[in-house]
Amino acid sequence: METPDTLNYMIAGYLFLFGLPLLYIVSWLIRQRNLEKDIEVIQTIAQNKPQ
Amino acid sequence: MEKHMDKSTRTLQILNVVTAVLMVIATGLVFFYAPRERVMGEVQRIFYFHVPVAWDSMLAFFVTFIASIVYLRSRSRWWDMVGSTSVEIGLVFTVMAIVSGSIWARPAWNTWWTWDPRLTTYTIMALIYVAYLMLRQGIEDPDQRARFAAVYGIVGFISVPITFFSIRWWRTIHPVVIGNGSSSAQGGFDMTSPMRLVFFFSLFSITVLYFCFLANRLRLEKLAERVEQLKAKLLSA
Repeated sequence: METPDTLNYMIAGYLFLFGLPLLYIVSWLIRQRNLEKDIEVIQTIAQNKPQ
Repeated sequence: MEKHMDKSTRTLQILNVVTAVLMVIATGLVFFYAPRERVMGEVQRIFYFHVPVAWDSMLAFFVTFIASIVYLRSRSRWWDMVGSTSVEIGLVFTVMAIVSGSIWARPAWNTWWTWDPRLTTYTIMALIYVAYLMLRQGIEDPDQRARFAAVYGIVGFISVPITFFSIRWWRTIHPVVIGNGSSSAQGGFDMTSPMRLVFFFSLFSITVLYFCFLANRLRLEKLAERVEQLKAKLLSA
C-alpha cells in the first residue's frame, strides 16, 4: 500500500498550531504596553493634580 | 514588595526560557525523530501536538473548576483570576485542537468536520466556556462577577469528563490514543516506541506551556488590577 502525500495538510496544521499561540502572546504584549501607558498617564495626572 | 516582584519576575523568566527550550526540542522530535506513519503519511505528525493541546484544554478547565471551588471558600481575588485566565488559555488550546483536528480529518476521514460524539461534545464544551467569558463581561460588580463565574466554572465543568469519555462511551469514528476505542474508529494507529516517546515528550512540553501561559497571564491580570486601583485612588483623591 502506497503512503499518501499529506505534507500540505501537515504544514497547514502546524502553521495554525504555532501561529495561534504566537498571536495570543502578541496580544499580551499589546495589552501590557497599553496598561503600562495607563499607569504613566495616571501617575502624570496624579502629580499635576492640585492638592 | 520590590524584592518579591524581582524574584517572581526572575522565576517567570526562567519558566519562559525552559518552556521555549522544551517546545523547540518537542518540535525537533516531531519532525526529525518520529517516524512517518505508513497509512496516513506526514499529516499524522499533527497528532503529537493535537492530542496534548486537547488534553491540556481540559486541564485548563479543570484548573478553573478547582480555582472556582477555592474562590467560593476563600473569596480571594487571586483564585478568581486563576479561574478566568485558565478559561482564556483553555479556549486558545481548544481552538488549536479543533482546527488542527479538522485539518488532520480531511485526509484521514475524507471530511473537514462531522458531528461525531467527540467533536460534538468538544464543541459544546468550548461554547460553554465562551459563555463563561461572556458572563464575566456582562457583570459590573467585581464580587458578584467572581461569585457567579465561580458557580458557572463548577457547573460548566460537567462538560469536560463527558467530552473526555465520549470516545469510550459512544460509537465514534474518533480514535482513542490510550486504551480501547470504538470499533468504528478511523485514523487510529499503534504507536511504536519512538512515536510514544515523542508523544509523551510533547504532552509534557505542552503541559509546561500551559502553566507558563497561566503564569504570564496572571502577571498581566495583576498589572490590570493595579491600573484599576490607581484609577480608583485618583478618582477618590
